[in-house]
Amino acid sequence: MLKVDDPEVRVVIRRSMVARIATLSIHGRPSINPLYFVSRNNGIWLGTDDWTLAARNVKADSRVSVLFEVEKTQGDHRVLRIRGRASISSDFKKLRSYNLRVAFKYILTPAGILNALAHVRQIPLKLNYNAQGAEKGQPCIIEVAPEQVEFLKS
Amino acid sequence: MKRVTRDIDPKDARDLLERVPRVCMAFAGEGGPQAQPIVFEWRAGRCLAGIPENEDNKPNPGNEVVILIDEGLYFFDLRALYMRGHVEPIPGPEHAPVGYTWFELNPIKTVAWDYGKLREVDVEG
Repeated sequence: MLKVDDPEVRVVIRRSMVARIATLSIHGRPSINPLYFVSRNNGIWLGTDDWTLAARNVKADSRVSVLFEVEKTQGDHRVLRIRGRASISSDFKKLRSYNLRVAFKYILTPAGILNALAHVRQIPLKLNYNAQGAEKGQPCIIEVAPEQVEFLKS
Repeated sequence: MKRVTRDIDPKDARDLLERVPRVCMAFAGEGGPQAQPIVFEWRAGRCLAGIPENEDNKPNPGNEVVILIDEGLYFFDLRALYMRGHVEPIPGPEHAPVGYTWFELNPIKTVAWDYGKLREVDVEG
């Protein structure tokens, strides 16, 4: 059985940028959300806010199913699915560690900087948008502890 | 009072239905939520989804599902179309990829967002 520390699994996770996490509400209704993520200690940390549907669903039902596609390498169509249990954390140290890793993965890269420069007029709107989110609740991490790992056909 | 929104009219994300950069489905499967890569066809206003035949877990007729079509890696490029509805099995559509079990989504709610189009909107209160 594949494990999350398998070299091929690690390659796909490393080359994936946006994870899609499926969750269930307390009433069993499905949802799926694209979220930024980082890999940490054989687990997956996805960033969101505690008021979002993804976070509320995880609080109601910890079972999750997460898809990863290779997005940094053209021509590699592998899709990885990780099933597991998730929990919500707003621990300051974890959030700081997550934010640092996200900054180096998505923001402080040539492509991330070009993306920001191309939308420089919208940066104040982004800051306001983030501030609105902060009024509704706290940032949090969805910590996924993998239980089953498999490759799928894309 | 104003607030900033990422939401757009789903009609403005129609190109995602045609190009389908990335697509997946979620439903309540055996043992929990199921995130499933699918093939997606948008034909004459119908949303058709194919799940690999060898996949053990598939939605049952009438089940509620969500289909997410999205694109982008960096903040201002992130766009998505999120469709919630019920699925019914259908025969494979003409000229569609083979090896899939096909479903038609009857949407009950569709939302779309585009972080490249963040803007202020008026809200009550």
